[in-house]
Amino acid sequence: MPAERMGQLSRRLRLTFALTSVLFLIALAISPVKDSLREWKRYKRAYVQFTQSRPDTKRLLADYRPEIDQIWLPELSVVDRCTTCHSGIDEPSLLDPTVPQPFRAHPPIPHSVRDWGCTICHRGQGAATETAEAHETTLAWEQPLLPVHFIQASCGTCHRADLPEAPELNRGRQLLTQLNCVGCHQLQDAVRPSMIGPDLTNIGSKVSRAWIYKWLKQPRTATDKDGNVTATGYDSSDSLPRMPQFRLTESELRALSAYLSTLHAKSIESYRFDPRVIAALSGKSDVADQGEVRFRQMFCSTCHSLAVTRAGETKLIGGDIGPELTKVGSKVNRDWLVAWLRDPQSYLASSMMPRYQWSDEDLYKVTQYIMTSLTDSDLLSDVPQLGEPAADEIQAGRRLFIDKGCASCHVIDGVAPQHDFGPDLSGLGKKDVSQLSFGESKIPRNLIAYIQGKITNPLSVNSAARMPNYSLPPADLDAVTTALLSMTGPPATNGLQKLLVPRTAPVFQPTGEFRRVYERYKCYACHEFNGFGGTLAPDLSYEGSRAQRQWLISFLKNPLTIRPTLIYRMPQFNMTDQEATVLADYIGLVLQSPAVDPANADTKPFTPADVALGKQLYEVKYQCQSCHTIGATGGYVGPNLNNTGNWLTSAWIEAWLRNPQALVPGTIEPRRTFTPDEIHALTAFLLTLKQQGKTAAAASLSAEAGISARALGSESRR
Amino acid sequence: MISRTFFLVCLVGALFVIGCRKNSNPGSDILRVAYDSEPDWNDPQRSIPLNYQQAQGKRIFYEQCVWCHADSTPAGPSNRSNLNPMPALMNDGSALNGESNDYLRNVIMFGGQAISKSAMMPPYGQLLTQQEIQDVVAYTRVIARPAYRPPVRPGAR
Repeated sequence: MPAERMGQLSRRLRLTFALTSVLFLIALAISPVKDSLREWKRYKRAYVQFTQSRPDTKRLLADYRPEIDQIWLPELSVVDRCTTCHSGIDEPSLLDPTVPQPFRAHPPIPHSVRDWGCTICHRGQGAATETAEAHETTLAWEQPLLPVHFIQASCGTCHRADLPEAPELNRGRQLLTQLNCVGCHQLQDAVRPSMIGPDLTNIGSKVSRAWIYKWLKQPRTATDKDGNVTATGYDSSDSLPRMPQFRLTESELRALSAYLSTLHAKSIESYRFDPRVIAALSGKSDVADQGEVRFRQMFCSTCHSLAVTRAGETKLIGGDIGPELTKVGSKVNRDWLVAWLRDPQSYLASSMMPRYQWSDEDLYKVTQYIMTSLTDSDLLSDVPQLGEPAADEIQAGRRLFIDKGCASCHVIDGVAPQHDFGPDLSGLGKKDVSQLSFGESKIPRNLIAYIQGKITNPLSVNSAARMPNYSLPPADLDAVTTALLSMTGPPATNGLQKLLVPRTAPVFQPTGEFRRVYERYKCYACHEFNGFGGTLAPDLSYEGSRAQRQWLISFLKNPLTIRPTLIYRMPQFNMTDQEATVLADYIGLVLQSPAVDPANADTKPFTPADVALGKQLYEVKYQCQSCHTIGATGGYVGPNLNNTGNWLTSAWIEAWLRNPQALVPGTIEPRRTFTPDEIHALTAFLLTLKQQGKTAAAASLSAEAGISARALGSESRR
Repeated sequence: MISRTFFLVCLVGALFVIGCRKNSNPGSDILRVAYDSEPDWNDPQRSIPLNYQQAQGKRIFYEQCVWCHADSTPAGPSNRSNLNPMPALMNDGSALNGESNDYLRNVIMFGGQAISKSAMMPPYGQLLTQQEIQDVVAYTRVIARPAYRPPVRPGAR
């Protein structure tokens, strides 16, 4: 019996053992089976299968290994396993868009995948071996793949200087400055300009309380695309209103307008016009019209825009260096305007407005034009009766000026701004999603949606936000987002630190008498000098090699058009002979190109045969008239050559024909392969092109007449 | 007794399910898919997505080519109507789709004269790199109307 029982027991035991062994074996098999079914192995097998359908199978499989591929760059702390699945990433034959992902090759870029890895640009989790973990936000990894639309942000993490290949990033950086973001926020590599908003120390002597009230409520007198004057109107061309709209209550509007209207530290004395001018002009009905002609002739529109309605469409025409002036006559008081036109810097030391030479007559006419024609009688019609500012309103306004952040952009003598008013954004681009507070909003939980939600409606993520509303068109919003995403703070590793391409701040500090004239007319507002200055007008770094002295002097005194398609033209400063000579002499002496050496110039004399050959080359062989105008015919891509003989130096023409980009990097004239004889002949021909004073003036006038028509037709496709 | 085993089995099962469940993704966060885009010249309401290479081509087009190969430019009306023969619009598929990539590359690189066309088209071989010229061609192809269909290469399936 015991033996029987023993046998029974052992049978049961054996059965148990057998069962557990099987279970155990199955359990052991789970792991290898699971491993062989891994996602990346599937992709590996699919790649082998895919290559069978290609003509170059053998080459495509030359480097193939059935294991995890990894790009390891310890210097940059890159461990990227992306190439495990993206097997064809550097196979030129797989570049075609018909190649299925993940096998398609990367489009050719300046950085190779092998040397840089993937995550430096694309972000995401490089060491992950599953698609979702590598690409998207997981609990363990908060940095998802950057959508390719915003990928230029990654260029900006190392390239702090602007890159021509990354236009979206450049535009975004430019907008961050133009929109005055730097007024309240710390931004990576953004230098705080000397003036963000105008100094308001003396604002009470310039505008009325009612106007301040209106401006604070609806800061934009610009028009939207339908021609309506709106608070959120935003012209996506170059005319950006710089003052954003704040959310102010009625009492806050009253308080701020009361406080600001009492600020008149320095009284403005009214200018005494020559009594003969007043006698001749006052009461004349066409004084304003004459003023308008002067306003146009002096090319105020190069810096200031006016709203123009044609064919039912209203647009701003003119530049954005200075404020838009459509309704300025209803804004400023007359004494202030005259004082301002005579000497802008005495009211606002950091103003970029040139100090023009005015005759009393012109000053009177232009003032009259601005005060009577650039007006809107309805501008202040919806402002309530404000009355005299009360003491408690002034007190509250002064406090609001700091609390609302006005002081972050505007200076008032004796009022200290709140330090670090807005959050520091210099490391925003690498913020983890968990570090962002979305509040109650329904915004998708990612950094891009957060940035865009915050800009378009600050209250959506933070009901106590002090940030004003910015309604940017989608393209600009994306550009700003790209620029903000590029701000990832100081690089994490030494390797990356070494790779930083810093943003440089060029300086140009002339001296002596030239400096005085240069400062007076603010040449650098539009022109660039050795990298410093504006980009509206031609770079003058090498102007001394380019232009003949006599031409420079007469051009400065009466700027005429060289490039007829340009909307923006050099203003007429009415400078004196002496000032023009000072400028021309300095330019000729100092602003020389190393690529143009007059000592090395071709000294062969120009013969009539050269001229004839040059004319033939110009007209027949190279057909330069497709872009340049001589006489009244030709193209208007390049400059008008009618006055070349008086304008350019022969050394410059020769050097230019040899290699235009050596003289002006980025100029669009393609470099050709002219022979030295052809260069000699073309130079000879171009130097014979001379215009007499009268025709030059006529050409300039006819261009002026055409200018507003052209400006209207300047809808760009971008 | 049975209910306790059942409860335990359920608990283990539930833990198993929770442990093995992949993190569910709250939908794809990719807001916009294309690297860049360009409005269809013939129908500005439509947008054509551009990849990296085509976008580089677009950039070069708007620097170098737009002045004569479009009807309006960032600086005003174009020079196109001023020229005889009038240059092809960059998106004119009926004129350009028939030409091979190599042909377009040669026109840009060596100019019109080299291929017995108007000398008004200057050579860009010294200003643009090979890659840049290819980028411009890629941009031309993607904005072409009627749309460009690449020729079927022998051997490619």
